[in-house]
Amino acid sequence: MSSGIGRPRMQRGRLFTFFAVALVSAACLPLAHAGPYAPGSDSTVLAELPAGTHYADVSARRLAQGRVDVAIPLAQFYIQQSRLSGDLRYLGYAEAVLTPWVRQNPPVPNVLVLQATLQQSRHEFSASLATLDRALTARPNDPQALLVRATVLRVLGRYPEASAACERFAGVVEPRLGAICIQSLRGLNGHLESAYLELTQVSSQGWLNSERSWLYSELGEMAVRLGRDADAQRWFEQDLNLVPTDFYVRAAYADLLLRQARPGEALTLLKGRESFEPLLLRIAVAQRQLHDPQLAQSGARLRAAFAAETQRGEAVHRREQARFLLEVEEQPNLSLAAALQNWAVQREPDDVLVLVNAAKAAGNPAAALPALDFMRTQGLRDVRVNAAAAVSVGS
Amino acid sequence: MKTLRRLSWILALVLAGPLAQAHIASNGFLTLRVEHAQVSGALELAIRDGELAVGLDRDGDGKVTWGELRASQTALQNYVLQHLHLTGADGPCRMGFSSVQVNERVDGNYLWLPFTAACGSVGTHLSIDYTVLDAEDPSHRGLLTLSSNGATQTAVLGASAARLFELDHPSPWSAFIEYLRAGIWHIWSGIDHLLFLLSLLLPAVLVRRQSRWEAVPMAAPAFANIVKVVTAFTLAHSITLSLAAFDVIRLPSRLTETVIAASIIVAALNNVFPRVTEGRWRIAFAFGLLHGFGFASVLAEMGLPKGARLVSLVAFNLGVEAGQLAVVLAVMPLAYLSRSTAFYRRGVMPWGSSAIAALALVWFVQRALG
Repeated sequence: MSSGIGRPRMQRGRLFTFFAVALVSAACLPLAHAGPYAPGSDSTVLAELPAGTHYADVSARRLAQGRVDVAIPLAQFYIQQSRLSGDLRYLGYAEAVLTPWVRQNPPVPNVLVLQATLQQSRHEFSASLATLDRALTARPNDPQALLVRATVLRVLGRYPEASAACERFAGVVEPRLGAICIQSLRGLNGHLESAYLELTQVSSQGWLNSERSWLYSELGEMAVRLGRDADAQRWFEQDLNLVPTDFYVRAAYADLLLRQARPGEALTLLKGRESFEPLLLRIAVAQRQLHDPQLAQSGARLRAAFAAETQRGEAVHRREQARFLLEVEEQPNLSLAAALQNWAVQREPDDVLVLVNAAKAAGNPAAALPALDFMRTQGLRDVRVNAAAAVSVGS
Repeated sequence: MKTLRRLSWILALVLAGPLAQAHIASNGFLTLRVEHAQVSGALELAIRDGELAVGLDRDGDGKVTWGELRASQTALQNYVLQHLHLTGADGPCRMGFSSVQVNERVDGNYLWLPFTAACGSVGTHLSIDYTVLDAEDPSHRGLLTLSSNGATQTAVLGASAARLFELDHPSPWSAFIEYLRAGIWHIWSGIDHLLFLLSLLLPAVLVRRQSRWEAVPMAAPAFANIVKVVTAFTLAHSITLSLAAFDVIRLPSRLTETVIAASIIVAALNNVFPRVTEGRWRIAFAFGLLHGFGFASVLAEMGLPKGARLVSLVAFNLGVEAGQLAVVLAVMPLAYLSRSTAFYRRGVMPWGSSAIAALALVWFVQRALG
């Protein structure tokens, strides 16, 4: 082979080699990001900003520092956004707006009610009650303060006091609202069947959507505790038709479906609402039941959320954490520890259920005795708990 | 009716009950690494929190893009200067920032702002005052991971006054080991230096005759080739590394990194289209000077401990040499044994070198464009 002829051809061959290899290498280059990175293009969207989180809104907040008539609706807006989006950050924004007004003397009752709502959301129940006392001292018949008070006491399982707050509430609002408050308490307090009947006979014609939604959600929960799952499903669906953003009811409905081994329907119900951790928990439970590989993602998100919360020294999601540990991670002992911590803070029927399930799975049913005693003494009736504990709890 | 309207919102709030706290609250992640005189670290904030702090969404379309984040870099740095104060034994630390980046977390994208803090001598304690978003979101917390000389502690920052952290202290011997290890790690993890060296060493077991590669007949000339290239490279980068470490010369890191990429292209293409076939040690020496500046920028990030600067520099350099020697010892015997095969001469030489050049070309473009 003479080098005079061979060489150019060989060079072309090498050039081809070079570019072939260059192409392959370039194609392999964009690896998954394992750590901080610089996106390739300036137009890459990193985040979309939800309502009220724009820097420009800071000027409204500055205005709120000097004017309580701006601070109150702004804080209301943030708290409502928090409820609609499931985003806890909004509560921080509301707190920032309220802070200058909370220590105001004489107190502004509306500010205090908002503050108490924030505290309740963070499970600072005694602080919330103290704030409400201040508000009620300033304005004894404030319906909002009375309703928040009834709600906090109900979560704490202090039913007689909650009922008293409901009676006072009933004295200053439309009779139908008072009835919901009173009957829903009776439903927890030994009169489930008759309270349910009373409320089913209420005609909700001409009511506001928020009022009907309140009625349906109470009826749905009562039906669940009575074991009338078909009724409960109907109430939940009526509520969600009216207020699709009611994620409290959506969660309760999902639990109903999961209990009936209908995880596929639960997933459909919760689709697109992954940003709400309590709903994400139900999604993870459903994925677990379905052996859905996407559980890896949901599980990672929940794990990170619980870890961050633990590191912050907060415990607002203990109930969800206990369920996650039991129903997704299959760690009954850790689940029981979380359920006991949760029980020390709040005492709703779901909290009893979580504790009973965890105690049973951990092989330590006696750990749930305080909760079962609570049910017995209060006359709280819940067929789910009975089924889980496999003991009779009289009502 | 008016009462009812007012009530409707509170109904909505109360009915959410204990579920109202659905999403995790706002967390920033502060990572600090204390090594001798140098504190380095990064602050990570959710893009949303960055928006709240300084306003990232410049065009107001409700979306934050990478371009907008980069454009807000200075504002972010100023914000951090006002809301994160580190104080060592000699008083407040001086903060210096590197380019902002993005980190994906399970709950979305976070901006990642790396910095170094010059604290004089750090001493036994570091005080951290973290007031990020204190006015905008009082529930924001900074989750701190602080590692000092191998020991790690965590804490929650914010909502309180400055906090004092006790630091662990190293012995001079542990500093030597640490810098030695850093040197080895750097040469192995930043494969650009190794690829440059390998490109020059691949033809060391061959000779160029009549436009073709042929195997060297004996071990001696191959060995001499290898020693010459490795020695020239070592000597050259040691010189510039020392000069840079003692602040005699400094080159912008983007320039050195770009030229380092170019040096690999030159060395690798020289195997595909040979120009310099004798005395490749001269290429090794010339470009080795630039690679030394590359090592120096790593060392600058780590910082040299006061009082042990020379020892640490020597340890780092020894680490680099040990790391590169280990690779040479692993690769070159294989190259020598397979030098007469067609696989080595027509496979490894053109294809392997092309691959190296191609990769280096990508680096070159990336680094040149910043």
